[in-house]
Amino acid sequence: MRSLIGLTVANIRSLVRDRAALFWTIFFPIMFVFLFGWIFGGGGADTKIPVGYADQDGSAASAGLRQAFGSVQLLSLRDGSADDEKAAMQRGEVSAVIVIPKGLGEALAQARSGGRASVAIQVYGDPSRSQTTQVVEGVVSQVANGVNLQAVGGSPVVTVSRLSLQSATISQVAYLVPSILAMALMQLGVFAAIPLVQQREKGILKRLGATPLARWKLVGSNVLLRLMVALVDAVLILGIGYVFFDVRIIGNLLAVVGVVLLGAGSFLAIGFALASLLKTEEQATGVVQIVQMPMMFLSGIFFPFDFLPGFLQTIARFLPLTYLGDAMRQVMVNGTQVAPLGVDIAILAGWLVVCLGIAARTFRWE
Amino acid sequence: MAQGGEPVIRVAGLRRHYGDVKAVDGVSFEVARGEVFGMLGPNGAGKTTTIEVLEGIRTPDSGTVEVFGLDVSRHQTAIKERIGVQLQSVSLYPRLTVTELIDLFGTFFSRSMPTTQLIDAVDLGERAKAWSMNLSGGQQQRLSIALALVNDPELVFLDEPTTGLDPQARRSLWELIKGLQAQCKTVMLTTHYMEEATELCDRVAIMDHGHILEMGPVKELIGRRFRERAVFFDSNPRLPVADLAHLGGVTRTAQEDGQTVLYSTDVAATIGALLATADGLSLEPHNLGIRQATLEDVFLDLTGRALRD
Repeated sequence: MRSLIGLTVANIRSLVRDRAALFWTIFFPIMFVFLFGWIFGGGGADTKIPVGYADQDGSAASAGLRQAFGSVQLLSLRDGSADDEKAAMQRGEVSAVIVIPKGLGEALAQARSGGRASVAIQVYGDPSRSQTTQVVEGVVSQVANGVNLQAVGGSPVVTVSRLSLQSATISQVAYLVPSILAMALMQLGVFAAIPLVQQREKGILKRLGATPLARWKLVGSNVLLRLMVALVDAVLILGIGYVFFDVRIIGNLLAVVGVVLLGAGSFLAIGFALASLLKTEEQATGVVQIVQMPMMFLSGIFFPFDFLPGFLQTIARFLPLTYLGDAMRQVMVNGTQVAPLGVDIAILAGWLVVCLGIAARTFRWE
Repeated sequence: MAQGGEPVIRVAGLRRHYGDVKAVDGVSFEVARGEVFGMLGPNGAGKTTTIEVLEGIRTPDSGTVEVFGLDVSRHQTAIKERIGVQLQSVSLYPRLTVTELIDLFGTFFSRSMPTTQLIDAVDLGERAKAWSMNLSGGQQQRLSIALALVNDPELVFLDEPTTGLDPQARRSLWELIKGLQAQCKTVMLTTHYMEEATELCDRVAIMDHGHILEMGPVKELIGRRFRERAVFFDSNPRLPVADLAHLGGVTRTAQEDGQTVLYSTDVAATIGALLATADGLSLEPHNLGIRQATLEDVFLDLTGRALRD
């Protein structure tokens, strides 16, 4: 037991003192979370889209409309004349401008009495920020729908509760956070091949073989180290997702830990298998990159699986990372399925067993 | 100094082949308790393979190999508890300190020496907190010996402990190894330095091409072949060895590293005759000298090659 702890501590120290290894195992995935979080998350709940608002009607009905827009959490409204606000948009102070044209109150009144009048709310957007414009347009059409319903059904209040567009952007981050964790576990496992090959090449494994130390403890200490780092990665990535991007884990926490450990185990087995097949450190560094880079991009973990073109879907179906990402999303955020959870787990377990088998048969200590 | 009793190491008919390469091809020897036993030979002679079989790192193809009277293939763990091992050119976990590495190795054995005592023994006190990757070659070798002594072993294996070190670092390691002998530990070492074998070993086995050619105390090995002393000078084509073989006192001749060596039972007569021959050709032998025969001469005589090659 003493030797297992001693070796694990030695492995931890070696990792913590090796900046390159530390970067890949801890900081690289964290960087991804922030990067994707900012790109797709729009910064979360705190940042709102600044929008110019020009009410040219000035009726009681348009005042009600202003209130409805004001209650939309996604937008931060700034009142002004249409020309001022359009100029502000060109200066970049607001991202879009909503103009309520004259005649809105009148049109609504006519509609109530059975007339057929319509009025168009205008949305000016910056074409270079089409995503933001789409969001604003979506909000406007939802509000307009509410108003139309009120006009037809005679319901007294315009209410806009939670807009589907808002949850759509958040679910994009929610899709990504489990994926990034899956990527981190994949790299953690596959990269384990490098220190093993290094230690063999330098004769460290041989030297340890000349002591009474049991070999399973040598392997065990490596597994322990990687599983610990896997949990640290999981806490960091999920913590950052929660604190900065409001991604909540809906699923059972035990199931999450289970999938994290299974995923780390499967890719660690792949790392051990690679370490068995590769001889030099240069080979190991090269091959590990060849394995992990395409896997990262072809597994469809960063895009919903259905969005991938057909041939990429075919490739992705052969990559274990696809299933880890899928399992991770299913236990964390109820994400879309590539396969049922049971199938994901079975495939990962299969990789674990096969690769451990390869490693056990072919691993050389010197 | 062989002290009788059960030998600590007993090897009989050891063979280890790698494909067609007969790395060790029928080697037999014994090492007594408290003895410093050296295996001397050029690279590829089979020294390391032999020592690694004894350490339990390699399995023999055939032959009897016993350490402490235990069969190495069946009692590996028990043997490993009681031996200390230094491998040829091993770097350790590069980012662990001297202290951390010694502590770590201590956890592998059921009993271990205090870390500070080991650090003092190998004189690494000032580098105790340095990462092993930042140690000099000599310091790494000393760390490596400290790690070999962690379990206070009865038998220590040192595989080319001073290869690649500068003369000063080599001397300081020799003192360390002599200290082990003083503690009555049995030491088996390999080397391709004649001087090292002469300085440290009670007995030496000369190995080449997987065979032990000759074995015994250094003085005996020399005395067995050379009652003579060696007269040597820079080789000169106009003084061919063949012409010098019948000079007075000369029993044997050799060419070695650009020098002509005449082994002589009567040095005065040999030198007189040599100078007279040279004078007759209006020559003067350069760097003329006399020395006792060394292990180097023994190796040359056994293999026809200089060991340094």
